[in-house]
Formats: sequence, structure tokens, C-alpha cells
Amino acid sequence: MIEIKNVYKNFGSLKVLKAVSLTIQKGEKVAIIGPSGSGKSTLLRCMNLLEEPTYGEVWLDGKLVTPVDPYLHPDIIAESKTFKKLLAQAKEASPKASEKALAEEIIARIKKEDLLKKHEGSSFAQKSRALYKENIIPINLARRRMGMVFQNVNLFNNMNVLENLITAPVSLKLKTKEEATETALRLLDRIGLKEKVNEYPSKLSGGQRQRIAIVRSLCMSPEYMLFDEPTSALDPEMVGEVLELMKELALDGMTMAIVTHEMGFAREVATRVVFMDGGQIAEEGTPEEIFGAPKNERLKDFLSKVL
Amino acid sequence: MLQGLENTAIIAVAGLVLGFVIGCLLATFKLLPGKKFWARLPGRFTDLYVALFRGTPMVVQLLILHFVLFPALGVDIPSVAEAVLAFGMNSGAYVSEIMRGGILSVDKGQTEAGRAIGFGYGRTMLKIVLPQAVKNVIPTLGNEFVALVKETSVVSFIAVIDLTKAFQNIGNSTYEYIVPYLMLAAIYLVIVLGITGLVKLAERRLRAGDRN
Ligand SMILES: Nc1ncnc2c1ncn2[C@@H]1O[C@H](COP(=O)(O)OP(=O)(O)O)[C@@H](O)[C@H]1O
Ligand SMILES: [Mg+2]
Repeated sequence: MIEIKNVYKNFGSLKVLKAVSLTIQKGEKVAIIGPSGSGKSTLLRCMNLLEEPTYGEVWLDGKLVTPVDPYLHPDIIAESKTFKKLLAQAKEASPKASEKALAEEIIARIKKEDLLKKHEGSSFAQKSRALYKENIIPINLARRRMGMVFQNVNLFNNMNVLENLITAPVSLKLKTKEEATETALRLLDRIGLKEKVNEYPSKLSGGQRQRIAIVRSLCMSPEYMLFDEPTSALDPEMVGEVLELMKELALDGMTMAIVTHEMGFAREVATRVVFMDGGQIAEEGTPEEIFGAPKNERLKDFLSKVL
Repeated sequence: MLQGLENTAIIAVAGLVLGFVIGCLLATFKLLPGKKFWARLPGRFTDLYVALFRGTPMVVQLLILHFVLFPALGVDIPSVAEAVLAFGMNSGAYVSEIMRGGILSVDKGQTEAGRAIGFGYGRTMLKIVLPQAVKNVIPTLGNEFVALVKETSVVSFIAVIDLTKAFQNIGNSTYEYIVPYLMLAAIYLVIVLGITGLVKLAERRLRAGDRN
């Protein structure tokens, strides 16, 4: 399960993600659609920390991928100097009020007005650190469990196909060279590209490259696959073969998050569709709900343009 | 004379290898991600290193190493090894600038793909980015190597017999200068042309895997 909790992402003053929360259960195929610039790629990249969220947390199977966001933990906020100061003031102002009610009010205010400072005292820091230490999964381990496929493919240009497929599992000591080669050849055979095993990426077509990039991720035996518009940079006649492979993966039960402009594919393969607009999830639901009975005006507008 | 040729070759080749390793490290330091103070320290080190080694003449660095630093540290190694160190460290500064350009010329997507598959920063650099960066800068590295070979003639300052010194000695003992010095120039020219040829070859071999 991938849990995105209240994620914000700013690039300088540009607010690209605003309070995005999304949970992807094992086995789900979540299609993320929306206009260009709405933050789809950024959301995907926050999941494997290619971008670090400005606020919020990402959890992978109950393990923390990002740093701790104190705003998500009232018990941590309650250790802050700011909280203690505000509570003391509030108690003075209304001595009769229950302390619990005051505390809740102040925590809500701290969250709303973003009042936490860089240094909030040692007990605050300790509590954050303890939570972090208890739950953190090293990012490189998390990434091995989440394969990623890019719009511009990014096969390793200095390696031939086989090396592209086996370098990571072998040099990370997940498989022996023999095992990795066997897996790689089996998967290449499955996508009908076994004879390309010694070619360099530059000698392959766009569609072949993208399918091999997908296989490269599969060679790490990931539990999740993140796709960022895998067919958008391809010539139209090559889109089909890539979508076909993704469909097969979906049928195999892979958990997938797919940013895509292929509405037909989303409708057919996704178990859930998320519509992003202006850095927020504007609507989500089953493909039937999203495509059949959209509620959000922007979604209707978007669909009328792309369908 | 053979001794001189051998020394020149050792200093140039070992110096370039050392310089290459140092240069790659320095360039990697310089390009470390992260904005925190400690994350930028290695980059600052690179800046300082490059400024020092590019801002002073090679001869001066060699003299300081031989007459100041090593005696002070009590290090006693053959002069040829000293020369290798001095040239390696010096060319490291130049190579780091070259490599930095080379690394920046590699598509950012390559790094991202490496990181996304679970490689750390170091491994991504070593396995994916540096090989491509090196390929992109081979011509420039070749020039650096040629410059290095020619510059090795300053090692006679610390009493290493190199090619130039050997021919000087011939000249001094025979009082015949024209032939030895013209020969000397010819030998350097042959070496440099040889290197240039090798670089071209390497370039072509590496381009084989490239687009078209
Ligand atoms: N590394 C970055 N630095 C600055 N701005 C960025 C960066 N990445 C994305 N953006 C901006 O964030 C916005 C959302 O981008 P993105 O997530 O790629 O949208 P989408 O994938 O939905 O088209 C865009 O305005 C884009 O210019
Ligand atoms: Mg995008």
C-alpha cells in the first residue's frame, strides 16, 4: 500500500501540489489524469522521492519514505515550544476552559497558520526523530520495490539491452548474474525482443525501448509500478505495443499508478481514476463514474477536450 | 635516453590516470545534490582545490612538493613517484573541470532512472553517468593528456631524468645541439600524434554504440 498523506510540493514560490492525499492498495491500478501542468508527474515523483514533498508524508507498506511531517502528528506538535507558549497564554486568558479543548484548538491553529518554526526545542526534535527512526525505510530499498517508467524512457545509453536489464539486480546483489540473465531473457522473450539482447538503446525503436524500460523495472521484481505518461513521447504506431504490455502486467496483478493521456486505456485497465487539477485531486472514482458521470466542471471540460 | 623516455611515459600515463581519478571525484563532489552546509563542503573543497592547482604554475607545485611538503612530512619516495603525484594532482584540477562539463552534458533522465531503480548517488555516477560523461569529453581529455605529456619536461627541476633532460645531457656531453634537439622535438611530436590517434580511435569505438 502506498499512502500519500497531505502532500504539498512547492518549487520556489510555485505551488505545484496542494494537500494531496491518496492511498493505493495492493492490486489497484490507479490512473491519474488531468491537464498538463496540473502536477501529475510531481505527484508520482513524490511517491519514490525523486521529488521531496515540501509538506506531508509518503508511506510504503507502513514504512515512512519521506521525512516526518510534524503537522501530521498532534503529539509531536504538542511538544513544540510554540504550542507550549500558546497554551500558557490561552490558559491565562481563559482559566476556566478545559485544557484538552484549548490544546486541540491550538493544534488546529498551528496547523492552519503554519506556525511551527525551524527549532522547536529538544523534546519536539526527539519525538520527531524517534518516529522517523522507528518507521523509516531507506529510500533505495523503497525504490527497489517501486519500479518507475518515464515518459522519455531513460534506458541507460552506455549499456546494451542485457546490461540495462541485469545491472541493477546484479550490482545490488539481489540476484546472481546467471539468475538475472535468465530472468532478463525470459522477459525479453515474452515481449518478443530476445534477439535485441545485445543491441544498444540507440538502435531500437521508441516502442521497443519503452517496453524494455518496463522490463528493466520488472527485473527488480517490484511490487508497485509507477508510469509517467509512458506512451506520450512515442510515435502513434508504437503506442499500442506499450499499452498492450502494460495491460498484461495489470492482468498479472501488478499494483500500478499510471499517469496517462490514453483515456481508452484508463477506462479499460484502471480500477480507479484520479483527476488532478491545479495541484489538487479534483475528483476520483471508478472509470464508470469518472468517464460516465463526471461531476467536477473542470473534469467535464477536460474530458470534452480529450475524448 | 631510453631511461628518459621511460620516465616521461611513466609520469604522463600514471599522472593522467591519477588525474582522471582525482578529477572524477572532484567533479562528483562539486555536483553533489543537497543544499545543506555539510552537503556542500565537498563542493567547496573542489573549488579550493581547483583554484590552488590552476592558479599556480606546475613547476612551483612540483618544487613545493619536493622541497617543502615531502621533507616536512618526512616522506621519502623516488622522484619519479613524486612527479607522478604532482602531475596527477595538477591534472586532477583540470580534469575535474572537464568532467564537470561532461557530467552536466549527460541527460538528467539517466540519473533519475538510476536513482529510481534503487542505485545510490555514487553507484549511479559510477555505472551510468560517468561512463557517458567520459565518452562526451574524450576529445577534451585527449588534449589534456597531450598538454600533460609536453609539460612533463619540467620534472628535471627535481632531478628526474626525462626525455628532455636526457637529450640535454647528450647535447652537453657532445657539444652537438642541433641534431639532439630536433630529434627531441620529433620524438615528442610522434608521441603526441600517437596519442591523438588513440583518442580518435577510442572516440570512434565509443560512438559505435551511439545514435546513428
Ligand atoms: N523541477 C521543477 N522545478 C520547477 N518547476 C517544476 C519542476 N517540475 C515541475 N515543475 C512545474 O510544476 C508544474 C507541474 O508539473 P508536472 O507535475 O510535471 O505536471 P504534469 O505532469 O501534470 O504535466 C508545472 O508548472 C511545472 O512547470
Ligand atoms: Mg507530466
